[in-house]
Formats: sequence, structure tokens, C-alpha cells
Amino acid sequence: MKGRVLVEGNAAGEAVVVEALSFYGEVDPKTGALNDGRSIAGKVLVIGRPRGSTVGSYTIYGLRYYGKAPRAIIVESDADPILVAGAVLAGIPLVDRVAGALSVISDGDPVEVLPGGIVRVYKRSSSSPLVRGRI
Amino acid sequence: MYLTREEEKILAGEMGEARAEALKIIVKVGEALGAERLVPIAHAHVSGISYGTIGDHGASLLEDLASRGARVAVPTTVNPVGYDTEDPSLLEKAGVRITPEFVRGQSRILSALRRMGANLTLTCTPYYIPEVRGIPVGSSVAWGESNAILYANSVLGLRTNREGGPLALMAALTGRTYYWGMHLDQERVPQTLYHVEEGILDEARAGVLGEIIATSHRNRKPPLVDARLRDEIALREFLAALGAAGSLAMAHIQGVTPEKPPEKPEERIMISAQDLEERLDKYRPTETLDVVFIGCPHAKAGDVERLARLLQGASRVRTRIVVTLSRREYSRLLASNPRVIGELSGMGVVIARDTCLIVSPFGKPGTRVATNSYKALFYLSKRGVKVSLAPLEDLARIAVSGV
Repeated sequence: MKGRVLVEGNAAGEAVVVEALSFYGEVDPKTGALNDGRSIAGKVLVIGRPRGSTVGSYTIYGLRYYGKAPRAIIVESDADPILVAGAVLAGIPLVDRVAGALSVISDGDPVEVLPGGIVRVYKRSSSSPLVRGRI
Repeated sequence: MYLTREEEKILAGEMGEARAEALKIIVKVGEALGAERLVPIAHAHVSGISYGTIGDHGASLLEDLASRGARVAVPTTVNPVGYDTEDPSLLEKAGVRITPEFVRGQSRILSALRRMGANLTLTCTPYYIPEVRGIPVGSSVAWGESNAILYANSVLGLRTNREGGPLALMAALTGRTYYWGMHLDQERVPQTLYHVEEGILDEARAGVLGEIIATSHRNRKPPLVDARLRDEIALREFLAALGAAGSLAMAHIQGVTPEKPPEKPEERIMISAQDLEERLDKYRPTETLDVVFIGCPHAKAGDVERLARLLQGASRVRTRIVVTLSRREYSRLLASNPRVIGELSGMGVVIARDTCLIVSPFGKPGTRVATNSYKALFYLSKRGVKVSLAPLEDLARIAVSGV
């Protein structure tokens, strides 16, 4: 898949997928945990769409401050100012407008963020443990 | 994005690395939104500075910027903080406990902002400050704090988007923001007229009108509003409610907004007095209360004087009243009516500067609050507080005699 690079940087990690996310109120910056208990620390966070309070930019910075930042953030729709400001402050690679991200990527899938906004997902097939594919 | 030669130099670090980082944020946000260029600003207002909101990580970010030489390039004011800086224990009578840790964290934030050159006004009503009233109509600014943004665009004819979080500070450090949204003439022209059929609206009815419009408005342009708002507090509460219940940055209010409205709006929506009464009825105070809260947005000296007149004759209030206001209005009140503060305090009214019940750690779930502010109702409800809404005259009566 291909998106628009907002904050540059290569990254690779396991996906954590969230449909709609407000960093302020829905992510604990001190632990990297979402309200449902999943951790985004060291993961590739895949969001359908951002939402919520502008304090979220500080929350994203907090993740970096407490050492719990995701390795990259991918957004299926448009990133909002809160997310952009937070990602720049925290130095987290950010790619948005990745059409179809939520249909393709599942929790736990290995994901790579490459130059030019390329997002590569490694899907497990039922017959072999790991099949590499670029969508 | 097109950048001037000076902007390129700033981005390259020629005016310091902190300024370069700040401009990078503004440019990246602008590019994400499709802005073609930047616009110089006359003023900035920074929200989100309570320690309860941004914590140690927020304090560290601000300290880091200050230490790297970040300094504001334009006059900059700031929002309220977690307590009255002259007496952090003032809100204890409303059940708010400020720990030494909180004071330490808040002081770190305020020191950093002071070092960066911000004017620590500690109020959500920067639109009442003389230096702001002097800014020419049509000027661009970068403000956080939704109620202030609406007031700036709708009443003062200034131009700002909703620059919350660290955005307004980044704009302040660079003297610029992205040229998008409310800075553009065509984004400020309404398409839909909301005509309120009859009646003169007090601040509680103005608040529910704001809720109704914010939640039903469907296009990106500011709503055009034809309503009779009783007084300044009704205007303020209408705008605050619009800001809280939706994502609007501006309302075009007939008779108030300096710009000329379109002659024939594309769409007309009628709102009846009954619509407002039905909505207000849902929020009516019906049970014993713990706190009556006035001052969201911050009260003016005149509002406090009006409260004193309404409470005249009572020796004590049965329900704790908390009034929050800016230190500037507090000083004006002391100067014009020195006895009022003492009289109200003697009756059991708590008057606090620099803070409010939203940005202080107020509100154990189940606490019962009545207020004249829809915005306060909206935010306090989210933390499990049971909030009801009524105009000031009703609140005064309830505080003395019960519901």
C-alpha cells in the first residue's frame, strides 16, 4: 500500500490496529497501553481515523518521553493537526492516506514503513508460516 | 508549501533550533491540511497548560523548549491552570485537593512559559484583555481554547483556527501559522441561517442553543445565527457551548459579527422557543446539590456584582457556590467594589482566580453540580459529575433556598 509521508523515517514492527483513536484519554503515555489493554510500545500503530482532544499531541510526546512510543503510525484516512504535531515532536514516522489499511492489516501482522510512503504487510498464510507480499 | 526566504532561514536553524522545530511543526500541519503558505500572526493564546492535563511529560517538553532558547515572537497569553496561584488550597471547600506534587509540576510549566516570554494571564477569556481588543479587525491570530476562538472570530472579527495543544505555542514561537480555514475570506461566509423564533435568551438558553446548532450543523461554513441574546454573558455562553459541543471555529451572529453576512443564505432552519425549553428541561436542577459553579468561561467583575445583588439579604448560602474569574477581573472588582468579595466570602461563596473546575482536579463521580454554563456541563459530565443547567438568577435562589 502507499500513503502520504508526513513524518519521515523507516520502521518495522508488529501491527496494532485501532479503528478510531484519541490519544488523550485512550492511550496511557506512561505504559503505552490502550484502554483495551493492548500495548502500542514498539509496535506499528495502524489507525482508521484520529479523533479527540488537542491535548493528544502532548500524549504522543509523552509516549516518547516515557519510552513507550510506537515505531511508526499509519493512518488510513487523513491525519489531523493533533497527530501531526505530536508525531513531529516525538519523532515518530507518520504516513497517512493509506487506503485500505484496515481491510488488509490485522493485529500482529509484521509491517514495514519504507521511503516514499510505502507500507509493506507480511501476511501469514494457512499453509506456510510466513508469506511475503506487497499490496 | 510556499515559504518566504525568512521562513526558509528559520527552518534551516538560522534563528535557533527551537524556533526551527516550532516552524517545522507549523509547516507540517499546514502541508497535511493543504495550506499553500503561512500567515503572520498578531497574537497567540496557549491552552492546555494545567499540570493535570499535560503532566510531567508536558512540563518537560516546555522546559526543554525554554532551555533551547525558544522565545515568543508575538504577544502571547495563556489559559487557566489547576489552582489559584496565590492560594492553591482555595478550592478545598469544593473538594479539590492540590498536592505538593501538583504545585511542583504546575510551577515547572509556568516557569517555562514565563522564560519563553508568555504573559501569564491564566484566563480562558483573552478577548477581554485590552491588548487584544486593540488588534485590528481582520488580523490573523493563533489561539487555543475553543470558547476564545469562537469569540475572536465571531465577535472581534479576528481570524483563527482551533489551535489547541502545543500548536498555538509553536505559532507564538515563530510568529506565524498555516494559512488555512478561518484565515481565508471564503471560509467565513455562512450558508445556513438558524433563526430563533422568539424570546430573549439568557445564558442557559443560549447554551442549549449552542448545543443544538453545534450538533446539527452539517457544512463547513460558520452558522449564521439570528437570535436575541440577553446580555454579554449569554453571548459568551452561546459561543462556549458551540465550541464545546462541536468543532466549529466561528458563528456569524447578526448584529454582532463585524463582517457582512450573505443576503440570501442557502438554507434556513427554524428553532422555536419550545425547542430550547425542551432541551433545557433535560438539564434542569432537580435534586440536592453539592456545588453551584459560575465562571466557565471566566466571570467578569460585573457578573460577580450581579451575584452579590441576587444574594442580598441572605446570611449564608446552603449550597457552596464557586466563582472563577481571571486575576485581571478580580483586581477590577476589588478596585470598583472593594466590599463585594468579603461579603460573598462571608456567605460561603468561594472566589478563585487563575483556575476553574474543568482544569482543576475537581469532580469525584457522582458529585452534583448546578451551573449556568453549558460548556461546564459538557466537560464535567464526562468525568461522571452530575450536572444541571440554569441561569444565574435561578442558581442564586437555589443556593440559598434549595431546589
